[in-house]
Amino acid sequence: MKILIVDDSGVMRRIHKNTLLEQKIPESALLEAEDGMRALEMSRKQVIDLFLVDWNMPNLDGLSFVRKIRSQPEYAETPIIMITSEAAKYNVMEAIQAGVTNYVVKPIRGNVLWEKISQYISVR
Amino acid sequence: MKAKYVNPFLAASMTLFKDFLDLDITAGKPFVLEDKYRLDDVSALIGLAGETTGAVVLSFSHDTALKVVSRVEGKNYQFLGAEVLDGVGELVNIIAGNAKKDLTDFRISISLPGVITGNNYQIRWPSGIPVICIPFESEIGRFTVNVSLRE
Repeated sequence: MKILIVDDSGVMRRIHKNTLLEQKIPESALLEAEDGMRALEMSRKQVIDLFLVDWNMPNLDGLSFVRKIRSQPEYAETPIIMITSEAAKYNVMEAIQAGVTNYVVKPIRGNVLWEKISQYISVR
Repeated sequence: MKAKYVNPFLAASMTLFKDFLDLDITAGKPFVLEDKYRLDDVSALIGLAGETTGAVVLSFSHDTALKVVSRVEGKNYQFLGAEVLDGVGELVNIIAGNAKKDLTDFRISISLPGVITGNNYQIRWPSGIPVICIPFESEIGRFTVNVSLRE
């Protein structure tokens, strides 16, 4: 199991990572990328089982990343949870059309985020 | 600026600081910021574009910035380093992104946040639009959310 956390904010990556570590997800399963471009590179080198993706990022934003990763057959069905401050309805619709599996608006408490994430992974 | 364009930022700030960070916080009455360049030590700004233009600036004293980001991460930051500035930027990102939900007159995109520190800086506000300052008092100090939005 590999979970890729994609967020340009180190603070947010640490918060998401700690949420997962508290749920006994092994640290070796957690990968981090600071933007969509880096996430694309990482997902070519190893198989990712779940993506947690921010929207507003430099270089390649989350929405563009989702479109690109969904165009790759091996990631056509991989769960993608978008975790973003973007709360407008049109943003949610755009993300769903791009292919996100779930959409979460920040701020979000760790236990609530875990409820979303746990639907897509088998806890070991 | 009409209240319907200020209130979404007020509501988003209350949700973030009161409901999410559990801070004892009170919002003061919004007012027009006469000196647009008089802000606190640490300011995080985000630009608004799309069907309107504008900017949002979240401004803290040095100590309040340390305390609020410590609260966000459950740490005890003592210095205004990159991690704290990153955290402050994330806060304004959340306020702007959440406010969009209630700014239904426009389709808006938000920029990446930027953070400025010191006591001698100027924000380039959109010209010809007033800046509305929403003051907050909290257990970790005062701070302001400043909004300028073309109607």
